[in-house]
Amino acid sequence: MSLVNLAHVCSHLNNATKARLGLTSIPNTQLHLKLCLALQNSGYISSVVRGGPTPPPQHTLLGVPSVNDEVEGVQSLTQSNVASRRLWLGLKYWQSDPVLGKMSMVSKPKRRITIDVADLREVIRGEKSGYVEGLRSPGESLYLSTDRGIMEARDVVAWNWMGLTRTNSRRISHEEIRAFA
Amino acid sequence: MSFARPARCVFCSFTRGVSAGTRVPSRQFHPSSTQFANRKPKFPNFKARDEKTLEEITRDMKPKHFKPYTEEEKAALKEEYTPEQLAAIEAGEAAIDPKDMAEQFAIRRDPMKLHYLDDFSTIEPGVDKHVRAPKSNSDYNATLKSDDDFVEDFARFFQEMPEDATAADWVRFAETLRVTLGKEENELNPHSALVPDLFSPGESLTEEAKSVKPFEMQSSARFGESEEITEALKRLLQSTGYTQAFVKGLATKTLVSHSVVNQTRLGKVRRMYCLSIAGNGNGLLGIGEAKSEESADAITQSKYRAIRNMQPIPRYEGRTIFGDVEGKVGAVELKLMTRPPGFGLRCQHLIFEMCRAAGIHDLAARVGRSRNPMNTVKAAYDALMSQRNPEDIARARGKKMVDVRKVYYSGRY
Repeated sequence: MSLVNLAHVCSHLNNATKARLGLTSIPNTQLHLKLCLALQNSGYISSVVRGGPTPPPQHTLLGVPSVNDEVEGVQSLTQSNVASRRLWLGLKYWQSDPVLGKMSMVSKPKRRITIDVADLREVIRGEKSGYVEGLRSPGESLYLSTDRGIMEARDVVAWNWMGLTRTNSRRISHEEIRAFA
Repeated sequence: MSFARPARCVFCSFTRGVSAGTRVPSRQFHPSSTQFANRKPKFPNFKARDEKTLEEITRDMKPKHFKPYTEEEKAALKEEYTPEQLAAIEAGEAAIDPKDMAEQFAIRRDPMKLHYLDDFSTIEPGVDKHVRAPKSNSDYNATLKSDDDFVEDFARFFQEMPEDATAADWVRFAETLRVTLGKEENELNPHSALVPDLFSPGESLTEEAKSVKPFEMQSSARFGESEEITEALKRLLQSTGYTQAFVKGLATKTLVSHSVVNQTRLGKVRRMYCLSIAGNGNGLLGIGEAKSEESADAITQSKYRAIRNMQPIPRYEGRTIFGDVEGKVGAVELKLMTRPPGFGLRCQHLIFEMCRAAGIHDLAARVGRSRNPMNTVKAAYDALMSQRNPEDIARARGKKMVDVRKVYYSGRY
């Protein structure tokens, strides 16, 4: 699949955090959803809710839309409404600074970058490996699409360490997103 | 005659005959002194190609290279060593065959080799086995002398005192007087299980007992010495709440100074511009700018402003910065990079001085595009202040501290 839409998502989130928005939406795709869940798992964004062209109703207590909202509920995904669905993301701020500071693509739509676990281990240690700069700042993360979905670089290395991902394939992962805190 | 003979003043050469005899160099048109004699190098010239490496020396070693001492060498040795030592040296020389020496004189490659160069003539406390007094020196029944014992000692001293006693006798008695009863070795050279110190007090590697002054102390002599309480200093102390001793102990340095001109309708008004830094060498750093007609006044003002502007700089482990940071002021774009312990400050002089004043010891920096000194200092200060605290990041992301620390120098994998 083309990475152009993903690049647009990165730019859009950068713009939204600079404008200090609390809630923003991106097109609904499987790739975007997996990435957003990974970002939420890392604590960069507060919520991921699938909704329509208008923002879904806010949770009574949280102040942002929530997937486990018992009062409002979440619309189910059907063939008739799938094209108009969007992902509504709650953005986080801490001490008037955005938690998700800067997102950028490592792979480009024209040049995809792959990396194996041995090289990735170097990258998360802060050393440059191939085209990929090392993670050298506190709060910097790298997300990759692997055969187990989109994962954070450290998780990829840790899971491989535990023997959960396949190690026999030489290059297992595509570089996707680099997010700064 | 030197090859490059300078041009001489023509008029001086006419007066040459008048001052007969002593040869005075004519007036020259350039400042280097004339060289009359053939220029010879002060030291013999060694060429690298004529020298041998240690490998080559060991490879080409022959028994004939190990000659016995000549008479002159023996005479020289006699000045250094006692006759007994000389006898031991000669016995050692005679005991070893030059053929064996030539065969065995080589850089060791075996697994049991030493990992350092040593001639074994001295005992290195850090490397060699410690030399300790034997356990038999201990005397567990030793007791301190009582007053009566000392009275006896003094009585004996006065009895045995020669007729013409001098102060030296008393000093000798006082120095050799023992204070315990029991084995003598126990008092003078007791056995100890503790590892001996690397250096005895006042001793150092270079044999010079030079006390190392911390950085702040060195710089304070420059800045704070001539300080009487001036009006400006008094205001500085009042506004900051620092003590005068603290201000004196600060490291301050003027990094940029040049003159600036204001064009008015009355003409150009020249003033001195100064940019100074101040730091306590332990995490505080500030920069200050000042302009004044007087250079000294501008320096003092900028230093005081730097002291007023001092702010804490986040430091990782008190030695380097948290992650790589970037700063941009004007066209100066720079990047400060965190580095492992012992790396040192590998950066240009302005950033080096700032790091030294702030107490950062490991850092690399790269200054791109413009390298204007004033903007470099400001951009470096911005970059240092823009560090993100990992604890804040952890709180912001709702993660445990350890999750974020893995990011930094991620030591786990």
